[in-house]
Amino acid sequence: MRRTIVIAKNTFKETIRDRIMYGILVFSFLFLFSITVIGSLSLGEDLFIIRSFGLAGIYLFGLIITIFLGASLIYKEVEFKTIYIILSKPVKDSEVILGKFFGLLASIIALIGSMGLIYLLVVWFNGGGFDYRAMLAMVLQVFEFSIIISVLILFSTFSTPIASTIYTIVVVYCGHLLSLMFNYVASAGDFQKYLLLGAYYLFPNLEKFNIRNLVVHGFGITQSEFLLTAGYATIYTSLVLCLAHLIFRKKEF
Amino acid sequence: MIKVVNVSKNYGEQRAVNNLSLGIEKGSIFGFLGPNGAGKTTTIKMLTGINSPDQGKVEIDGWSPELSSVREKIGFKPEEPHFYEYLTGLEFIKFAGNLFERSYQKKESDYLGVMESAGLYGVRDKIIKHYSKGMRQRLGFAQAIINDPEYIFLDEPLEGLDPIGRRELKNMIERLKSQNKTIFFNSHILSDIEILCDQIGIIHKWKLVYSGSVLDFCRGEDLEKRFIEEIEKIEGSHSVA
Repeated sequence: MRRTIVIAKNTFKETIRDRIMYGILVFSFLFLFSITVIGSLSLGEDLFIIRSFGLAGIYLFGLIITIFLGASLIYKEVEFKTIYIILSKPVKDSEVILGKFFGLLASIIALIGSMGLIYLLVVWFNGGGFDYRAMLAMVLQVFEFSIIISVLILFSTFSTPIASTIYTIVVVYCGHLLSLMFNYVASAGDFQKYLLLGAYYLFPNLEKFNIRNLVVHGFGITQSEFLLTAGYATIYTSLVLCLAHLIFRKKEF
Repeated sequence: MIKVVNVSKNYGEQRAVNNLSLGIEKGSIFGFLGPNGAGKTTTIKMLTGINSPDQGKVEIDGWSPELSSVREKIGFKPEEPHFYEYLTGLEFIKFAGNLFERSYQKKESDYLGVMESAGLYGVRDKIIKHYSKGMRQRLGFAQAIINDPEYIFLDEPLEGLDPIGRRELKNMIERLKSQNKTIFFNSHILSDIEILCDQIGIIHKWKLVYSGSVLDFCRGEDLEKRFIEEIEKIEGSHSVA
């Protein structure tokens, strides 16, 4: 556990200092400040527009940064041979995978936290008060990103950053369309039905974590719904990380 | 003691090491020589537990280097070491030290001491991205000795260093030898091997062709000349066959 924390801290430092990430972050801050202007263009729906654009912006920029940082997480270690320095020390393969996961997750939490703070200030400044429901939406977003990071680590153990990025975008896209996919199953033929059902159970149901529409309309979710969603994310993330570990330990360096 | 018994390793169809056996006494400096692609780096990776042999066994003090307890007493500097570019040298050394049970409670002053002995004290707070090749080699060396290891494996430690850097690193190796450390290193710079090593092993086309003392191998001639003669003799006998 101690070594996992050491690797996580190192990954956090390394990712949080990435200059390209700063570029994206600055752009996201500018966007969040500018939504006041977008809101003022609407007719009396300022807060609704600010909340919609703000939460969507936090999600989109968070997703871009997660994919950008995560796609090369393990690949870079192997390609740049820093993995030799780690694996020649008394470190287990599982500690490398978990350390990388928690390190990147910590970076993403810090980034979402900083974007969220600006969002809350903008909403408050525009007379919306303290938007505590938005915080719940951001917490669920962190759970969604934990799944995405685990998927990125899995792909990163056997493919290049570009391929990992493409595969992950497909997973995110399909993960948000699973409800549609499930509705289509009833009208599909036998082969298509099994294919769609397979995809339905294989891909993570990322729409579970999307409560942004509820939040902008002033609704939230119950405690049990929240716990179920958090539990789902934890189980899915753990399974994907186990798979990533299996592939990583079989790898020759 | 380091023991390698009938070790073979393939990467897919490509042979990397073939039936290699070696024995290295504690406290000696062992130089491992061979042309490019002979299997030196693969051997060092198996000795440090990074890869496992397909056949045979590797033992350090009677145990596999894949065990964490064995790796606690190993230090390894890879060839052309790469680091986390956005960390400072000192942060990286602390990271490396914290991965060991025996060194994670080191004090700040201990880390600074290691940076000083590697000649990196003045650049300890500079990010590694701005380090020169020589500084990187020295940082690689510093992280390899951070846990005060009994066995030190160095892959091409003198490559990319200027004459002064090479002299400093050779002095460090001599110092480690005086502390009764066992040092195993791969190098192309045969003049340095001749000065530093008690024992050498020569690997060619994945097979060990010589293992023993430097003096016995050189027979009054210089190591480079004898090495080339030996390799050419083997190449000649292969082409005749």
